[in-house]
Amino acid sequence: MAVDELQAIIQRCQILEEADFKGEDFNLFQVAGQKCLEDGYAAQLLEVIQNEKNKVIIKNMGWNLISPLVRCIFMYKQEDDKREHCLMILDQLAQLCNPKELFLGLLEQIEQTSGEQVCQTVMLLLQPLQTVLLKLQNKKAYSVGLSLAMIMNQLTPLPVPYTKQQIQEDKLGLCQCCNAVVDFAKPFVNEVVKNMEKSSGYNDMELKEELIKFCMKSLKYPLLTAQLEQLEGIEEHPFRHFATEITDILWNIGELIPLVFAHHKGKSSQWENQEFADIEQKNSADSLACLSYLIFVQHFGVECFPVVFSPSYLLLCNMTHIEVLLKRLSKENQTFLYVDLFESCLLRMEDNSLLHHYLEFRDFINVPQDLVKIMTLCPMEHMRKKSLNILQLFIDKFDTEGKYALFRCLLKTSNHAGVEGYIIKNIKDQIHLALTKEYDNIWFTGHHLISLLDLVLSLPEGAETDLLQNSDRIMASLNLLRYLIIKDCENDNQTGVWTTLGKIEQNFLKPLRVGLNMSKAHYEAEIKNKKENRKEAHSSNTVCSVTVSGEKMPAMTTGMQLQVLHSALFTFDLIESVLARVEELIEVKTKAVMDEN
Amino acid sequence: MTTDEATKSEGEVQAAALAERGEDITPSKDRGVLKIIKRPGSEGESPMIGDKVSVHYKGKLANGKKFDSSRDRNEPFIFSLGKGQVIKAWDIGVATMKKGEICYLLCKPEYAYGSAGSAPKIPSNATLFFEASNAGELVELLDFKGEDLFEDGGIIRRIKRKGEGYSNPNEGATVEIHLEGFCGGRRFDCKDVKFVVGEGEDHDIPIGIDKALEKMQRGEHCILYLSPRYGFGEAGKPKYGIQRNAELVYEVTLKSFEKAKESWEMDTKEKLEQAAVVKEKGTMYFKEGKYLQAVIQYGKIVSWLEMEYGLSEKESKASDSFLLAAFLNLAMCYLKLREYAKAVECCDKALGLDQDNEKGLYRRGEARLLMNEFELAKCDFQKVLEVNPQNKAAKSQISVCQKKRKEHNERDRRIYANMFTKFAERDAKEAASKTGVEKTVEKAACEKGPKTPG
Repeated sequence: MAVDELQAIIQRCQILEEADFKGEDFNLFQVAGQKCLEDGYAAQLLEVIQNEKNKVIIKNMGWNLISPLVRCIFMYKQEDDKREHCLMILDQLAQLCNPKELFLGLLEQIEQTSGEQVCQTVMLLLQPLQTVLLKLQNKKAYSVGLSLAMIMNQLTPLPVPYTKQQIQEDKLGLCQCCNAVVDFAKPFVNEVVKNMEKSSGYNDMELKEELIKFCMKSLKYPLLTAQLEQLEGIEEHPFRHFATEITDILWNIGELIPLVFAHHKGKSSQWENQEFADIEQKNSADSLACLSYLIFVQHFGVECFPVVFSPSYLLLCNMTHIEVLLKRLSKENQTFLYVDLFESCLLRMEDNSLLHHYLEFRDFINVPQDLVKIMTLCPMEHMRKKSLNILQLFIDKFDTEGKYALFRCLLKTSNHAGVEGYIIKNIKDQIHLALTKEYDNIWFTGHHLISLLDLVLSLPEGAETDLLQNSDRIMASLNLLRYLIIKDCENDNQTGVWTTLGKIEQNFLKPLRVGLNMSKAHYEAEIKNKKENRKEAHSSNTVCSVTVSGEKMPAMTTGMQLQVLHSALFTFDLIESVLARVEELIEVKTKAVMDEN
Repeated sequence: MTTDEATKSEGEVQAAALAERGEDITPSKDRGVLKIIKRPGSEGESPMIGDKVSVHYKGKLANGKKFDSSRDRNEPFIFSLGKGQVIKAWDIGVATMKKGEICYLLCKPEYAYGSAGSAPKIPSNATLFFEASNAGELVELLDFKGEDLFEDGGIIRRIKRKGEGYSNPNEGATVEIHLEGFCGGRRFDCKDVKFVVGEGEDHDIPIGIDKALEKMQRGEHCILYLSPRYGFGEAGKPKYGIQRNAELVYEVTLKSFEKAKESWEMDTKEKLEQAAVVKEKGTMYFKEGKYLQAVIQYGKIVSWLEMEYGLSEKESKASDSFLLAAFLNLAMCYLKLREYAKAVECCDKALGLDQDNEKGLYRRGEARLLMNEFELAKCDFQKVLEVNPQNKAAKSQISVCQKKRKEHNERDRRIYANMFTKFAERDAKEAASKTGVEKTVEKAACEKGPKTPG
């Protein structure tokens, strides 16, 4: 039946001229063709299409069949003959139809698909789409760009497989699809390359821009979220393959190196189109960061990358990317990219080789502050530890003036006693180097050091400072002071600590002593109170409750409370004993000098 | 012999020859970079620091293994000379080359990638061997184009003597310079002068010098080519006999400078002391009508003190009073500069510190009045009167507000009333004059075209 109807309309149209086809003919053809497909007459339909006599009809009307055809293909099983026929029809249509209409028909199919079918549909239609695009006469660059953008937009909502198992399984076909899309783009890349060789590349800028857009998009998704480490047992890691292809495209069209150094030079707007330049700038930060990661950490495209850049310059160029990746950390679980990129840049450098003037670049000051945030606020312990390691590595690379400035900055901005304690320990190490090494180190001796010590050897809020909260910082400060007094004789006074002792006494030791006495008295009273209460009754009237991420914590028993109070007292004792030791040392040393005189 | 061995022995021979006969070109004469000229270049100057140079090169490790070649990339490698963009050996080596020269360089690890190496290609402690040639085919690029400081062609720098260290004066830094200014071959200015970057105008120094100084280092001696907009611009400089839109050439030596401190480098005490100084300066500029300069000064107070925390009670009082004054004065400056939205913003901040501040309310009223926000302006002036009933100016401003609002409403009414007749008239007129207008525009474009700087 369906076939007869189709034959009828075909016969009617065979005698007509191309220009005489009417709207109703199109409709009838579509309805009949669709019916053929639905009723399983794919083989017959194929015959009709292959018939030389019907060439003109198919050229004009064939594209109408795309939508039902795609539907049918998904209906049939993989090994079904009918499916095979449908695929052949698709192939024939790509050869025979008017490219312009067929292009829109195919794009429409891609646009309409969603969910689990996205990758299948895209992979099915890539081949005909490529055939059609290569045949297009007008607006080719625009159409290629539109296709790639549409495909990438459809893929973007899909989850990126992360674990080895997920990648191997490739449930939605994303891995396979991405690589198919690259193959799809290759003829167009070759076209651009060929035109570049002819050197009159001006009118080809458009196609090149579209390809760059595609690469940038691919870098952001899926590559930025993908797992790119080598995986054992997977020979051809699909995303590594994809990454290689993308960097290759950029390299082949001569944009890889300009992009890697793009942000640093200040965007030179090479785009004809201002709108594109703006959008690109906004969206490109993530993509460029990913590109840097691919090149410097995963060594993609390294074959063609110049090996004469100085390590500091590479760090400088990557600092923006590191900052971008760090900022992403708070939003998503983008854990390792920044660590790896930062580490790989720092490991290229010798210790003490980074000149302090780099701190004048905004990123060089911002990034360590962001690191501190991760060190103190990130819920993942290994991230906190890694960040601390990176921060230390970063500090090590700076020259002494750079270290000095960085310490100052971090002491003022970290707002965290633990970090401050850590920095103070670093200061102590630097002073130790300054006192033991031969060469002059003006930053960790003399008046520069004193101004730094002013910051270190003080209590933020005088005697009222919360000693428990600040215990890390206070202990580190006391240790530093003890070190200075033991190591630096009053007669040498290399560090200048003896000159400023009065001030230290006033701003640090004295308020600390007062604070200790107050705190101890307070906590002892509290303990006494608790103990008496316990004797009285077990009336556990909770004063306040603590909730952690929405869950109410069980109320503390009096026993637990006592334990906490005792451990606080223990901390105070510890501080007090070091304080006493420091005071004793000062006394002995000043006395010795006085005796000498 | 396999090819591998052949290249290896070739590399060894060259390296050995270099080690033996190469000229030591390091400043410290430690034989860290050795050079042999294979083909001498043209006579004449070598590239200067900061110049964009392009070279072709091939790099090998000591074992003869090639690690990099610009020929493989089919394009010369371009970089800024003497800026630390490339390994030390290159900054030193390329600076000695002439145009068209081809030479061999042997670079000890201390002048290349050191003990760290450069993954994945350069191992630790590698001696590198380069065949470098200034690319012949790119003569234009090789004409050692001076450095385009802002990539707009406005300031071109060529460095005669490199400065020490790497720090540059920032805005607000005090610099001591020697400068000579030339215009069309005539020297019009020659002096030693000390001033604050951003305030060069006080000494008849064009803004381009201020901008360039921020990129110079201590002791640097350079030539600066300034386009008119970085020079004396439209106005010219009658004092020096300089016409409008003149190109200038300056030779500048940065003798010394004292950097303005970054906010995080200063402690509270310092910030408060400096705040008093810049407040004075700002007021001085304001009185002279130099509002832009005044904004810079008052802006410093805000950047120093707005986010400062952990102040003692006394400090906090002082800080608030500086901030209040800064915001009020900024508001005044912005009023003068006709940036009313910014003026309102500053008043808001001032009122955040002191909600009944008479000046703050009054100035916000003024700004809003000028932005045609009559109701809001009136509210502000009324609040002024609540605070100080004696304020006559505020009283008269209220009546101005009312009058203006009336006028404004009148005008609106008239505009809308006439709109349709007007539109009809205009359409007719446009149609008639369209051809004429087009011609004029075209003509103007032609005249303007060649003069506009790229």
